[in-house]
Amino acid sequence: MRPFRRARDGAIVAVFEREEAEVIARLAGEAAELVESVRSGVDPASDPALLRLLPDAYPEDAEASAEFRRFTADGLAERKALNAVTVVESLSAAGRPAGSRGRVEVRLDAHDATAWMRAIGDIRLVLASRLGIVEDGDDGDVHDDETALLRAIYDWLAFVQDTLVNALWKGDR
Amino acid sequence: MTDASTVEETGLGERLELGSPWVTIVWNDPVNLMSYVSYVFQSYFGFPRAEAERLMLLVHNAGRAVVATGTREEMERHVEAMHDFGLWATLTKADA
Repeated sequence: MRPFRRARDGAIVAVFEREEAEVIARLAGEAAELVESVRSGVDPASDPALLRLLPDAYPEDAEASAEFRRFTADGLAERKALNAVTVVESLSAAGRPAGSRGRVEVRLDAHDATAWMRAIGDIRLVLASRLGIVEDGDDGDVHDDETALLRAIYDWLAFVQDTLVNALWKGDR
Repeated sequence: MTDASTVEETGLGERLELGSPWVTIVWNDPVNLMSYVSYVFQSYFGFPRAEAERLMLLVHNAGRAVVATGTREEMERHVEAMHDFGLWATLTKADA
């Protein structure tokens, strides 16, 4: 991967290996599906990952939290799903530089870069929840190849998001 | 024309009723990056970068920080926006 950076024309650009692009697209698709389930009536409290994406707004008032969720959950879920879909779409529309053997170049404007930044954050929240990373310093429940891979992806996505934040920050100044 | 003393009185009364009693709190979590949280505070609330970083460090070190104060409706808007960013935010009465 060549990390996100701001190009001279202002676009925010990264190059991914094909396997990396596939991993991001798959996780973004799963995140979209997960938040969409809220809009079709799934209770966020039924899944710790969903509850982390749509946390209680009033920690000591269940009734007010439920009321807040009634008014905000559908909109939040819709916007989160849209961010994830933006990621999937920009990867499938990505250019394939000549001789790149499947590498994909993602070029984002500020709007789509913001969607990516939020979507990768949401994907990491879901992965952390699945891995049981709940407090600073938690390593997560890594006990086999699959969880080790998830943990590696979780760390790698932190790097990807950090390069996006820095690229966006550059444009703000 | 209005009598200034009356203005002050009703103004204060309104403020006591509507103005200050709610705060938006952002809680520490092990997932979100320090750079990202600073970026959110700067880009969403419009804090200067140094203030955004001070608040981020307060969240990180103290476990939570008050990032906004105002009416309940305003704080609900902020909390929803923080949830849009994936930050763990809640609201409560300022004196709670």
